Amino acid sequence: MIELEHVSKTFPGSPSPAVEDLSLSIAEGEITVLVGPSGCGKTTTMKMINRLVEPTSGRITIAGDDVTKLQAFELRRRIGYVIQQIGLFPHKTVGENIATVPKLLGWDQTKIQTRVDELMDVVEIDVSMRDRYPSELSGGQRQRVGVARALAADPPVMLMDEPFGAVDPIVRNNLQDQFLALQQTLRKTIVFVTHDIDEAVRIGDRIAILNVGGVLEQLATPNELLRNPANPFVSDFLGTDRGIKRLSLIPISTVALDPGPIVAGTASASDIAAMMSRYGTDWVGVRTGTRVDGWVGLGDLDAGAVPPDFAARPFATRLRPNSSLKEALDAVVSSHTSVAAVFDEHENYLGMLSADTISSEIVQ
Amino acid sequence: MNEGPLVRWDWVWSHLDDIWELTVQHVVLTVIAVSLGLVIAGPLAYYGYRHYAARGPITWVAGVLYTIPSLALFAFLVPFTGLSILTAEIGLVGYTLLILFRNIVAGLDAVPDGVIEAATGMGYTDRRRFWEVELPLAMPVIIAGIRIATVTTVGLVTVTSLISYGGYGKFILQGLNRFFNTQIIIGAVLSVLLATVADVLLIRLERRVTPWAQRRSE
Repeated sequence: MIELEHVSKTFPGSPSPAVEDLSLSIAEGEITVLVGPSGCGKTTTMKMINRLVEPTSGRITIAGDDVTKLQAFELRRRIGYVIQQIGLFPHKTVGENIATVPKLLGWDQTKIQTRVDELMDVVEIDVSMRDRYPSELSGGQRQRVGVARALAADPPVMLMDEPFGAVDPIVRNNLQDQFLALQQTLRKTIVFVTHDIDEAVRIGDRIAILNVGGVLEQLATPNELLRNPANPFVSDFLGTDRGIKRLSLIPISTVALDPGPIVAGTASASDIAAMMSRYGTDWVGVRTGTRVDGWVGLGDLDAGAVPPDFAARPFATRLRPNSSLKEALDAVVSSHTSVAAVFDEHENYLGMLSADTISSEIVQ
Repeated sequence: MNEGPLVRWDWVWSHLDDIWELTVQHVVLTVIAVSLGLVIAGPLAYYGYRHYAARGPITWVAGVLYTIPSLALFAFLVPFTGLSILTAEIGLVGYTLLILFRNIVAGLDAVPDGVIEAATGMGYTDRRRFWEVELPLAMPVIIAGIRIATVTTVGLVTVTSLISYGGYGKFILQGLNRFFNTQIIIGAVLSVLLATVADVLLIRLERRVTPWAQRRSE
């Protein structure tokens, strides 16, 4: 969709190029994240796509068309743009901000109004906010208005420069979730710049890791990148918790669950003992119908709990199939039973995961 | 000074026509001076905003104008331009330039880079971005400059009484010549009043054109 061919940029007065001979393909309908340390030219690279920075040499095409074919301002009206400090116009209302590009494109007033209402709905900003000024919004709301503004003319391509950088971690997580859900339906071709590898792994369909001077070290899916870093720079950049990061990408539903040491609520003491020795545990889960509400330990039984009247202890964390293996691992290390119990949305027991099962997923 | 009450109100009541006439003159001289000041300082400030190197020389010239004593300036101009409104306005406009130039440049400079970049990135042309984004955002600082220039000019207009204009300055000058306190006080008080009224009107104008700067998140 977007092709960078041998693109270089040397800023006037700078001894070394900010980007040197960079070739990069950005796939249609995907989020490609440009990530790297400061000075890696990720923002410069992005800005060359909408010609906020003109390349010194090389060629950039969008859908086969050279970006220099159009006047810069015409090109930019066809590309959504969101920047770090959001860049909302403080003197324009939420509605006017969102209407920016349609207005530049000369849409008629009714069409603009309809589109603004539609977008406020899409990014979940209440229509009552329409006549507010940006200074009256929270950080998260501003970011969402920024995204709505970039989407206004329904551009096929969006450039996003650390769009969630200026908000606190909880809000950022929500914005990322919302953004990913939005992208599920919109399928825009998105170039997303961040310095945060965790955000890159979370957001990206593909990640381009850039080194100082705009050198492309690796372009791969997050999973491939974490599994198989191309060189020491990439593995350094990914950090020492690559395994954990990969776990965050794998949903529990893709892994075979173990039934675990489960006994019926009517089990006898000897049944329980047999189950414990079979699994080598000092506890068993207690089943009632399709539900497993908790577990009892050896200690409970020694203390005189008599089947079937034992009081089951609840599992500390009840996971869902769409939870990640990272969350499962967290449940494993923070529970007495050293397993992660998984339930469907009706609370029916599906099975459990042990540390061994989880680790075999990324070691294989 | 002569004896008697500080202000002779009977003089005031019998000279309401003169007061009105000089009020109009004072207002007209001020409005022309500040408007022409804007017409001259505006483009200069735009140029200085775009070309950093031009700011020093422009500020220097405007600064020199600003420091010339007003009496000396009018005395110097009379041989060339006579006792005309032109002489009065050359002086008055000259004194507004430094204030207006500096404030317009400062206002434009204060527009956040992120906003300008976002505007460019969304496809504003340079010209449209200036009129629709940069200038509106600079307005609070620009209007602050206009307020200072206006209040200063209202005071300075009184000096043009020396070249047969002067608005309320005419009362002051006559009062001084005739040792007539009432005229001096009325002239001075009305001048201060006019400056205050002008300032209040400009504050209202500012609220009008920058509604976004008035509202803040609760």
